[in-house]
Amino acid sequence: MIGQTSKLCDLKAISPWQRLLVLAMATFTIAPFAPLIIQSLAFRWAWPNILPTVWWHEQRERSPFPLAWDYVFSPSSRVGEATLNTLGIGIAVTLLCLLICLPAARVLAQRNFRGKNQLEFLIALPLLLPEAAIGIALLMIFIALGLAGTYAGVIVVHLIPTIPYMVRMLTAVYQGHGTEAEDHARVLGANRRQIFFRVTLPMILPGVIAGCLFTFLVSTNLFLLTFFIGQGQIITLPTLLFAKISGGALDATGAGIALIASIPGIILLIFTDRFIRNYPLAE
Amino acid sequence: MPKALSAHSNISASPAFMQNLRDIAEITPLLVVLLGLFGGAVVLGVLQSFGYAPWFGINEFPTTEYYERLWLSSDFWVSLGLTLYYGFAATLIGLVLSVPLSIALSKKFKASRLFGALIRLPLMVPYTVGIALALVMLGNGGLLSRISAGLGLIDDPSQFVQILKTHWGCGIIAVYVWKQVPFMTLTLSAVLARKGEDTVEAAMVLGASSRQIFWRVTLPQIMPGIVSASLICFAFNIGAFEAPFILGGGYPDTLPVLAWRYFQDANYAFQLQGMAVVVSLALVSGVFLGAYLLGYRRWERARGRV
Repeated sequence: MIGQTSKLCDLKAISPWQRLLVLAMATFTIAPFAPLIIQSLAFRWAWPNILPTVWWHEQRERSPFPLAWDYVFSPSSRVGEATLNTLGIGIAVTLLCLLICLPAARVLAQRNFRGKNQLEFLIALPLLLPEAAIGIALLMIFIALGLAGTYAGVIVVHLIPTIPYMVRMLTAVYQGHGTEAEDHARVLGANRRQIFFRVTLPMILPGVIAGCLFTFLVSTNLFLLTFFIGQGQIITLPTLLFAKISGGALDATGAGIALIASIPGIILLIFTDRFIRNYPLAE
Repeated sequence: MPKALSAHSNISASPAFMQNLRDIAEITPLLVVLLGLFGGAVVLGVLQSFGYAPWFGINEFPTTEYYERLWLSSDFWVSLGLTLYYGFAATLIGLVLSVPLSIALSKKFKASRLFGALIRLPLMVPYTVGIALALVMLGNGGLLSRISAGLGLIDDPSQFVQILKTHWGCGIIAVYVWKQVPFMTLTLSAVLARKGEDTVEAAMVLGASSRQIFWRVTLPQIMPGIVSASLICFAFNIGAFEAPFILGGGYPDTLPVLAWRYFQDANYAFQLQGMAVVVSLALVSGVFLGAYLLGYRRWERARGRV
């Protein structure tokens, strides 16, 4: 009996093997960033030295700033332009996606109608069809419409991979809340606008924020659709980095751009831990 | 409450009808975007692959010439095999790592939140960053090569075992796994959190060993999460472009890269050939995902859950 109680206490404890697995995976995840940072700060880093033979600060009189970062922050690297594009497109996509998905999610969560299962399948379909197929087929349409290589075209095409996540997350949020509070407000004489802004929105706000953050994240990390539809005229951080490393080699400036491209994600990771942790992806 | 509602319904002619109208209005924007963009792309892609491209002055619809030329070349099948191999290998390795990882992360331990956040990092950064990391770690001048030199195993970069730019695709698979383990782990963790510990506790009280608990309780519980996460990752992997383009072994390329090369060709007629590649890829993806879902349904039915 005592043995069993202690066994039950162990239920929540972590075993040594599991601890090892967590440590190994954290190393696999984080460790590769170390050489990236080192490379961006190195002045000379020849094979087979594990660390650079000459660091940038030993050459301060020749360049007051690490060479790679000097280039990254200069206008000729186009990093500033790419960062602004990435953030601007991300925000526009998020707002547009929310505007489209919020009303639809309410209907999907609260209503039953014929063909609902088929509709849900249609919404999930963009995640299940290869992105290259969608991108190339859409490129033809967008060239015909004059949308290829424009901000509007890139923003619209970003809706395709973001809508499935947004609808799923918002539907789950609506399902979690039911309609009782709204019914009470209606009985008490509130009009539709009041009900939405005073009752519904405050209740679903955490879920809406989580959905927006995730949408923003997907949009800022998207490469393929931006690359195909942007036609090289709309540069975002992922496409800029692709252009830098597409030859199969990574120099110091490439390392700097890779680090810059990771910053939005790292900031989101720090500030959104609470929101994204348990997002309802699994169905 | 029913009283008040019925009093309300006497005023307007037919509230149910109005509500239906409102529902339709609210779901319309989503339908327009999905059917217009996504449906349009699918329809136009299929039409083009059958020879319909009047804007290039090509209209041989319907012709199966492009599919015949594609499917009769042995290179296409090599490309398809490579595409599927990278997709399957990465998804499988990712699952084998994420299932125990999500269970481990559901336990209480010191700094569990910190480790959870660290492991989630790849989810937050672009694939291209993952590719940059693969280049700096696994390349012939990369860190692993330098470490092997430090250990005295090799004395020239060219002696380092070729990891990138081979058809074995170790680099591609490593990037996919690095990026997708967090996604799978997060999905599985959400399922685990929702299921709670009650059943595991019950099984433990009834004397089940930890192996029995894993195979008989936990794994069946998280199966829906496993299926949805692996579906999404597999579909992504076989449609991905940048990792095989940079880290792959060159010709014959994976299907998305092959399609892209056709589209970059100065000869417009090759675009129809590229569209045939893309449609073939979507078909293959559909067949595999459909078979997977069907198998899963059957498994669930055999367990009496559906």
